[in-house]
Amino acid sequence: MNCQEVRPQLLDYQRGTLGLDLRADISTHLDSCPECARATAAEQALTEMLEQRLPQHSAPLGLKRLLAARWPAAPAPRPSWWTRWGRSLVPAAAVAVVLLTVMPLYYQRLAPPTADGLVTEAVNDHLRILTSQHPLDVESSDFHQVKPWFEGRLDFAPVVSFLGDAEFPLKGGAVGYFLDRKAAVFVFHRRLHAVSLFVVRSEGLPWPAGGARAHLTPSRGFNVMLWRSGELGYALVSDLDGAELAQLAAKLGVTS
Amino acid sequence: MDRGGGGESGDALVREALGYADTLYNLARYLTGNQPDAEDLVQETYARALGAAGQFTRGGNLKAWLFRILRNTFISMYRRQRNNPTVGGLDTVDPTAQGPSREHLLLDDMELDRLRKVVGEEIERALMSLTEEARTVILLDLEGLTEVEAAQVLDCSDGTVKSRLSRARAALRLKLKDYGR
Repeated sequence: MNCQEVRPQLLDYQRGTLGLDLRADISTHLDSCPECARATAAEQALTEMLEQRLPQHSAPLGLKRLLAARWPAAPAPRPSWWTRWGRSLVPAAAVAVVLLTVMPLYYQRLAPPTADGLVTEAVNDHLRILTSQHPLDVESSDFHQVKPWFEGRLDFAPVVSFLGDAEFPLKGGAVGYFLDRKAAVFVFHRRLHAVSLFVVRSEGLPWPAGGARAHLTPSRGFNVMLWRSGELGYALVSDLDGAELAQLAAKLGVTS
Repeated sequence: MDRGGGGESGDALVREALGYADTLYNLARYLTGNQPDAEDLVQETYARALGAAGQFTRGGNLKAWLFRILRNTFISMYRRQRNNPTVGGLDTVDPTAQGPSREHLLLDDMELDRLRKVVGEEIERALMSLTEEARTVILLDLEGLTEVEAAQVLDCSDGTVKSRLSRARAALRLKLKDYGR
C-alpha cells in the first residue's frame, strides 16, 4: 500500500475496525514510512485529547426538572453506572443491584431528595462500585495521575486534599452519577475495606446543616459521612466503623 | 400527546428519550455556543421528538434519531436568526478551505508534544471555531455513533461522513497547532 491509500484508513486502523488483511498491510506500511507513522501519532493524540479533555456539558438541573415536569408520566432515568458496567456483572449481582438501586431511584424521582435520600444514594452508589468488575476508570495510587484524569470529564474540579497514604491507600477514580448529576469518585482502601468518596456540585441538594462538619449516618450496615464545602458536596461511604471513617474524613480535612 | 402508540411502550420510549438529556444538551451546547440557547434547543428537540414519537421505528437507534431531530431543529431555528449568527457559522465544510494538506497532516514531534499539552478550554475554543458540520461530525464520532448512524443524523452517505470526519479532524488539528506552546 502507498501513503495515499493508507492515510484515509488510519482512524479505522487505530480503532481496530479494519479487516485482518488490510490491517496487516497498513502495519507493514507504517513500519517503513515515518511520515505515515507520524500521521498515526497525530491522529492518536487528537483522539486522546478529545476523549479525555474536551469538556462535557451536562444538562442543567433546572432543564431536567422542566423536562420531567413536562412529561410527568416518565421520570427521566439517569444514565447510571449500571448502564455502563452492568453488562459485565454476574446475573445474581445484577438482580441484587436492581433491587437495591432502581426502586430507591424511582421514589427519589417522585419528590425532591431529602437528607436521608442522600445517604441512600451514597450507599447505592458505593454498592455499585463493590459489585462492578471494573469500577474504576483510572486505576492508580498516584493522586497526581488520578485527579488530572477528571479534567474535561466534569463541569467542576473536584477539590480533594488527601492524596492517600499507607493507612488509606488510593486505588483510583471514576466518573459516576450521584442522583441527577455527575460525580467524581475516588476509591480508597483500608485493609480489605473499600471506601468511596463522591464529590459533586452541591447546589440544590439538602446537605446536612453545619457546613464543613461531616455528619455520620449509619445505613444498611454502612457508614456514610456527608458534608458540604462551598459549591461542592461530599459523601464518604464504607462498611468501616464510624471511628475509622472519621479518621479518613479528618485526613480529607473535615471534622465530624 | 402521541407517544408512539401510547401506553407502556410509549412511556418507555419517553423515559429512554429523556435519559439522553445530558448527551443532547452537550451537542446542543456545542452547536449553539451558550447555555440558554442550548436549553431552548433541547426543549424544542424533545417537543418535536416526543410529539411525533409514532414516527420512530421500534428497534431503531433512538439516540441517532434524537440527534437528527436536534440538528435539524438547530438548523431551522438558527436559519431564522441570520442576524444572530452562531459561532463558526452554519456553512458546510469547505474541503478546499479546511482540507488537510500533506504538510499540515505531518505534525513534527515538537508539535505533537504541544498538542498533548492543550487544555480542555482550548480544545473547546478550537472546536467552536470550526463550521457547524465539522463540529457535529466530530461530536457524533465522539458519542460513538457509527458512520452509518452519523449518516442518518447528517442526512448524507456513509462515505461522506468518513471524508467529513477526516477533514474536520484535520481542521481541528490545524486550529490546535498554536495552543500548548
